Amino acid sequence: MSLFRTVIFRHLVAERLRTTTTIVGIAVGIALIVAVRLTNASSVRGFQAALELVSGRTSLEIVGAGGAFDEHLLENLGWLREYGDVSPVIDGEVVAVGTADRSDRLRLLGIDVLREPPFRDYTLSDSTVASGTRDFLNLLTDPHAVILTEKYAGPRGLTRGDAVRLAVGDRVQTFTIHGLLKDEGPARVLDGHLAVMDIAAAQLAVNRPGLLDRLDIRLHRDREVGESAREIGRRLPPGLRVQRPAERTEHVERMLEAFHLNLQALSYIALLVGLFLIYNTVSVSVIARREEIGMLRALGVSRRAIQGLFLAEAGLLTAIGCVVGIVGGRLLAYGTIELTRTTVQTLYVAAAAAPPRLTTPDVLLALALGIPLALLAGAAPAREAATVPPIAAVRGTDRANALGGRYGLGVGGALGLLLIAVVLARQPAMNGRPVLGWAAAVLIVLSGALVVPGVLRTTTVLVRKVLHSWFQLEGWLATGNLAAGITRIAISVAALAMSLSMMVAVAIMIGSFRETVEYWIGETLGGDLYVSSATGPDRQPDFTIAPEVLQWLQQHPGVAAVDQFRRESVIYRGVPVAVAFGQYTTLLDYGNLVVKSPADWRTALRQAIGQDAAMVTEPFALKNGHRVGDRIELPTRGGTVALRIVGIYFDYSSDRGMVVLDRPTFVRYFGDRPPTSLTVYLRQGYSPDAVRDDALNQLGSRHRIFIRTNQSLRREVLRIFDSTFAITYALEAVAIIVAMMGVATTLLTLTLDRRRDLAVLRLVGTTRRQIVRMVVAEALMIAGVSQAIGLAIGVALSLILVFVINQQSFGWTIQWHVPWVFLAQMSILTLLATMASALLPARRVARTEFVDQLNEA
Amino acid sequence: MTQSSEPALRAEGITKIYAGADAPVEALRGVSLSVAQGEFVAVVGPSGCGKSTLLHISGAMDRPTAGRVSIGGRFVDELDEDGLTGLRRRQIGFVFQFFNLLPTLTVLENIALPLLLTGASPAVAAAEARLVSARVGLSGRLTHFPRQLSGGEAQRVAIARSIVHRPLLVIADEPTGNLDSVTGAQVLQLLAELNRERGVTLVLATHEAHVAAAAHRIVHMRDGLVERDGGAAA
Repeated sequence: MSLFRTVIFRHLVAERLRTTTTIVGIAVGIALIVAVRLTNASSVRGFQAALELVSGRTSLEIVGAGGAFDEHLLENLGWLREYGDVSPVIDGEVVAVGTADRSDRLRLLGIDVLREPPFRDYTLSDSTVASGTRDFLNLLTDPHAVILTEKYAGPRGLTRGDAVRLAVGDRVQTFTIHGLLKDEGPARVLDGHLAVMDIAAAQLAVNRPGLLDRLDIRLHRDREVGESAREIGRRLPPGLRVQRPAERTEHVERMLEAFHLNLQALSYIALLVGLFLIYNTVSVSVIARREEIGMLRALGVSRRAIQGLFLAEAGLLTAIGCVVGIVGGRLLAYGTIELTRTTVQTLYVAAAAAPPRLTTPDVLLALALGIPLALLAGAAPAREAATVPPIAAVRGTDRANALGGRYGLGVGGALGLLLIAVVLARQPAMNGRPVLGWAAAVLIVLSGALVVPGVLRTTTVLVRKVLHSWFQLEGWLATGNLAAGITRIAISVAALAMSLSMMVAVAIMIGSFRETVEYWIGETLGGDLYVSSATGPDRQPDFTIAPEVLQWLQQHPGVAAVDQFRRESVIYRGVPVAVAFGQYTTLLDYGNLVVKSPADWRTALRQAIGQDAAMVTEPFALKNGHRVGDRIELPTRGGTVALRIVGIYFDYSSDRGMVVLDRPTFVRYFGDRPPTSLTVYLRQGYSPDAVRDDALNQLGSRHRIFIRTNQSLRREVLRIFDSTFAITYALEAVAIIVAMMGVATTLLTLTLDRRRDLAVLRLVGTTRRQIVRMVVAEALMIAGVSQAIGLAIGVALSLILVFVINQQSFGWTIQWHVPWVFLAQMSILTLLATMASALLPARRVARTEFVDQLNEA
Repeated sequence: MTQSSEPALRAEGITKIYAGADAPVEALRGVSLSVAQGEFVAVVGPSGCGKSTLLHISGAMDRPTAGRVSIGGRFVDELDEDGLTGLRRRQIGFVFQFFNLLPTLTVLENIALPLLLTGASPAVAAAEARLVSARVGLSGRLTHFPRQLSGGEAQRVAIARSIVHRPLLVIADEPTGNLDSVTGAQVLQLLAELNRERGVTLVLATHEAHVAAAAHRIVHMRDGLVERDGGAAA
């Protein structure tokens, strides 16, 4: 321990900047992993928490295979009472009008007041205790009665007896608050955003007359859940199925899996960069202290002890980095949750993410990942330290300089890795996960790291004259310095090149995706106006458009046609997919799709009008291995129905997969449900803005509708797209910053390590400015080589991301497109930032009094 | 090299005080010294007597706390940082105990460096460096790197570097201190020859009497003062 304190610890304290950078590097890597993990967990947990609160003591639930189901089915379900208590539920969403804020969405629970007690405990607040029961019973008699939560009502100045305006779909209705729930049980759902109504009133409110969302079952004590579920499942009529409430969480988890997996994979890149920093720090530490190590060896310290000392250095840095990273990750999670909120809510579930919660497994995972990997990263330099001979103590020139023969090995190894990567990239997904694709990506990144010494060597030879003419003597000296320091600088360059390559790859992937989406919306968004009853990207089935609105639009002289759209969620092969309706005739006459197959999709679609046929999205087809002509068996209200796939079209609005039926076909199997959005095609000569204003003037007072023009919808789609990828950029940017910090500290170490050489230069007449220019020229070469390797590897990596990982994860075909302008900006920024990062060590060394260095051995 | 009647080096009342851990340390206490052009002066004295400090100040590497130094008639205290750098670049050459060669440059490049810094073209600098290296006996080692040289060879490179740009003054601080006696004698002989042949003004610090004996004049120092100027080595 005392040896560790004197040899390692004091050195770490003395080299504060490098020590801090390394710890920060590891901490950032760990923090990102923890933050992404907490974020992923919180989006599922937010849904799960809401589900558990609303489910109460429900053991099983019966739901319609194709969404809400007919309440008349209950007449034949009397036998369910053999298993336990049964209570029907309407589970919907409403908006409290008065504020346009999204947070004023309320979960609406329609309950059978008399059957409800075994399932959920509602406690009315103190002020209403005496009249609590009556308040609940009043729900039965007053169709406009609602109970809100104290937590929601309090801050908004609402109390019992007040009126509250709730919008369901596009209709705004006024309700009276009959009670306020204490912050307990279901009242805690969505942070108090809950409204409770009698089931009959709720059916009317959410426009589901005669329909139920589910039947909750609380099993008798002697009933076992699994067995009961199997028995009930066998006895249920077609169109109904039984499930545990938790299965809904499992569905959400499965839906989010690809998104979460890819996010997690990106977060590991930052850790990888952090590990390179560990390798770098311990390497530099060993190289800079060869004489000291030699002295220790001469004094009788064993090789194993030396190795242990430097491994302990790696371990200590990592342990501190992990602790800082875990705490930082917990804080960072608030940011990443916000960054992913739009994506999760747009593409997957509308539930609010729960606040981040750090659990023991999160901490253990961070430690289990960080410490062994860091020890692995520190093993090679520690082994090198152990090989330092005692003679190094007295031979200052015995510096590590031997790498010459390994350049060829690096290039050969890189080619080998690339070859394996190509083979892996051509393999299919494993259990729907692009495992081999990610493996190929890692191999490509490693191949980039392997060629670094060779490229550095070649660069110093090739650019010597160029730098001499640019930087005069300083440039010439810089190339010599860099050539001599390749063994030390290679790791930093590799780390920077790796993170840059990821940034390049992600930029190309996102650029390609954006280009594809822009083309796609250009081709498919042909409507002039888009009408919905909800702001934002929601597709909640409750946000419906009233027939009156539809009728008004259809009769407007400027309107040529109105297409109706609605989507429901059904479970297909264990995963939620969307089943939607559109109007094939309107689509054929006015709209457009970008279709993958068949080529003559219009003829196929015309023949499918009103038939048991469907158009499906590419993600649906790819994830389920379907082709045109296949038959898919979809659960519907009347049982399973087989539909023939008549076309597969490109769709980038969701990776969940969607099956689009012609409206009559949908009505036949799922019931006549109102649309949730309308696409309006105008006649020539009519201005979209004028028709929009006209509609809002005529309908706006009675209906809560939102009408977007084609242009504003396109902007909105791209805004959502950009916000979806904000976190990706953020993760990569952090990795690059960490890598740059690594380069800066390596430069500092390198310059400090050769301060005597710099003193000689000062002695023979080199000015401080020239010293600074020399170090900056070195940084320029480092940045240039990193950038060049990063670009080359990034382009290769982008091919894997676009054509393998993305396709296997999400099922989207993306056109490969290189965003040159962005890449050029990024390259210039990296060059400038790296050169700027060199100024600190350059100035520090230039300022040092050089006389003292000259008489040292 | 500038030829004039001005002494190559004139130091008047030089005092140098360093901030010590407990109290200030007075390394030089009013030292005066004048070295004529072409003269070979040895500064001798025990360790810590201030001879290295005197050489550093004389070579414009350090500034005195009090007193004035002029090199070729140019007062050093009138120069700013860049002026000092320029003075060292053109007028002074240095040789140290530990050679202080740049490990990333070849022998030829190390020798040519001062010329390159003065703006000479690479071709001219290389030609001059070849001439000087031939004089110091390193023609066969021009493409070697310092780590491939023996101690004596490395010091000869340092000597060649110190004279290649024809400076007014060469400062040599214990040039033989890191060499065996035979090699040390060869290096000393080389310095004396260069002084004789090229008129190089040489100020050499040493604690070895036989080294000092090669000089025209010996300055004895003790405790930061010139104890005796002239005469034989102690």
